[in-house]
Amino acid sequence: MKSDTFLKLIGGLALAFLLPWVFLILIPFVSASNAEPIPYGEGEEVEGGVTAYPDSVFYRHGSSDYGRQIYAAEGCVYCHTQVIRPTYAGPDMWRPGWGGREADGLARETQPMDYTLEEVAPLGYQRIGQDLSNVGHRITTRELMHQHLSDPKSLDPDSGMPAYLHLYKKSPYGEGLVPTPKAEALVDYLLSLKKDQPVPSGK
Amino acid sequence: MTVPQPTPEEMAERASIDRSTRYPVMFFFTSAAAWLLAATLLGFLSSLKLRVPELWDGCEFVTYGRLFPAHMSALVYGWAMQAGIGVMLWLMARLTRNELKHGVTIIVIGHVWNAAVTLMVFSVWFGFGRGIPLLDFPRWIWPVVALSYALIVVWMVPMFRSRRDSPVYVSEMFIVGAAVWFPWIFLTANIFINKGTAPVMGAGIDAWYITNLIYFWMAPVALAVAYYIIPKIAGRPIYSYPLAHLTFWLLAFLAGWTGFSRFMGGPFPAWMPAVSGAAAIFILLAILATVTNLMLTLKGCSKLWEYSPSLRFTVFGMLMLGLYALLSAMSSTFYFGKNLQFSHFVVGMDTLAFYGFFSMTIFGAIYFIVPRITGAEWPSGARIRSHFWWSTYGIMTLVVTMLVGGVAQGGNLAVWDQEFSTSFVNSSAYVVGRAVAWALISYSNFLFLYQLALMFAGKGRKSDGPTLIHAEPGTAPSAKAAAGLS
Repeated sequence: MKSDTFLKLIGGLALAFLLPWVFLILIPFVSASNAEPIPYGEGEEVEGGVTAYPDSVFYRHGSSDYGRQIYAAEGCVYCHTQVIRPTYAGPDMWRPGWGGREADGLARETQPMDYTLEEVAPLGYQRIGQDLSNVGHRITTRELMHQHLSDPKSLDPDSGMPAYLHLYKKSPYGEGLVPTPKAEALVDYLLSLKKDQPVPSGK
Repeated sequence: MTVPQPTPEEMAERASIDRSTRYPVMFFFTSAAAWLLAATLLGFLSSLKLRVPELWDGCEFVTYGRLFPAHMSALVYGWAMQAGIGVMLWLMARLTRNELKHGVTIIVIGHVWNAAVTLMVFSVWFGFGRGIPLLDFPRWIWPVVALSYALIVVWMVPMFRSRRDSPVYVSEMFIVGAAVWFPWIFLTANIFINKGTAPVMGAGIDAWYITNLIYFWMAPVALAVAYYIIPKIAGRPIYSYPLAHLTFWLLAFLAGWTGFSRFMGGPFPAWMPAVSGAAAIFILLAILATVTNLMLTLKGCSKLWEYSPSLRFTVFGMLMLGLYALLSAMSSTFYFGKNLQFSHFVVGMDTLAFYGFFSMTIFGAIYFIVPRITGAEWPSGARIRSHFWWSTYGIMTLVVTMLVGGVAQGGNLAVWDQEFSTSFVNSSAYVVGRAVAWALISYSNFLFLYQLALMFAGKGRKSDGPTLIHAEPGTAPSAKAAAGLS
């Protein structure tokens, strides 16, 4: 009799839990899993031999996958988001460079498949610093990216970013800093952050 | 209105139940309190670094990106969950009128839990974190956490099944709920996130896990405490018992839908944040009903708040739960939410949940439980009073500055043609408030840990009368001296 109460209670809780678990977690997860790239239709011209969205060559090069781990380990997500919201939810698209290459008419909000190369999409927790969805288009050279990491205040005196000096070593030849492999990987990752590849129509 | 007084035999039985829980429960409480002090210090340090980013430049162990997740892990898994587990074990023993068995096993597994938390915090701190809020640890740690949790709470099943009062009291339901909900959400989050085939859903599931941890674990444990302590100290039954049951089932059916509203306009189908937002608004009704129910139970004897430490902490915690549910429903609406997401508001809300309602309620339970299981009274009422007020000042400073600062920062972020760093400069004053708040909370928890350590070491006050925050009015100075207040 009493044990029935226990099983009934657990059964009720399981039933109550199962509904959101199936509809909010399981089905969206399975349907988003291992999505195949969508080929471009006729007349949808894309630069340089890119035939489908998303295209990994379009994004990644160098040791950017190790850089992704450094990005996670240094806790970048606690200050930097990687979400460009549609204009109904915020003015992200209006900030210069945030949504991608406005000049080419390619700026857009972020889409689920933009994150296919991540382990977990680093959408972010807070926005203390700039959104990094398209930082690879805003900062285009390694030198500038290294300067951003090792001495952010030299680029913006009001910047709230600490200097990530532990990713750099003093140069053995006098002045200056030498990036460690971690810093190089992180720069590779940051330069690869471009989320404005055209989405095929009908998607 | 008054409840029947227990017979001497019942008193003796209670004492032996309390004794059986002594060592496991004290183990969880003291190690939790030590983690709490560490977490508050990390909270202070991380806030300081956010205000003065160039401080200790080049030292990798003091960057905000590592201190903040280390602080969150220590606060949630080190303090909140351990203290909660201790409270659950004791309440279950008391309510089912069973002695706690397998105490040694529970203590041994408690050490495994502590080792796992230590590895968690240090791996994040030393640069092995994964950038997933609250699931920041390397992936091999989660089975250890899940297994040790299961091996601690599983002993409550036979206790529940052999309970002597047949109808289930609402606190027991909340404890059973919390006991099974945590493994469900923890396993779901870790299995899906580590499968890694849908990266965007991984981020969404993490947000779901955070709000579920609050509504499916912290709220039930806190409500189990409140539904036990408030009627007990007021000496009268719950104002409306059916309403308490209704709250439980509303929470059970609604909490699992929350979470995705942390990413309004994010790369999810638009219905997901919308459904989560709606669930948060419905939960507000459940929580407001239950807080009102508890306050009506206290109606007419609210003066007890002035004397009883347990009641004072618990009532404060419940009011904070109401505030949390209100703000969470508010920020789930598009009108407020779109500007508040990604601002300091998020930190304010998470801290309001972890410290404001959960920790304060658990302090209430600890002040109630420890004298009963150690057979001694708290050494100093004045220190309890300081613990309460410094904690209250701290958490209110933190919540107010982060909420107001969040509105200000969110407003700045919404001005798209303004330099981005303006939002950082303008909100940095509020971050000072956050650092000050953690300093105050650290101080209050130093007092708490000190008192708890005295009780642990058997250095409590031997007396018949409980330690009160203030002496009862009209009592002689001798009574005041006996309460350790002179």
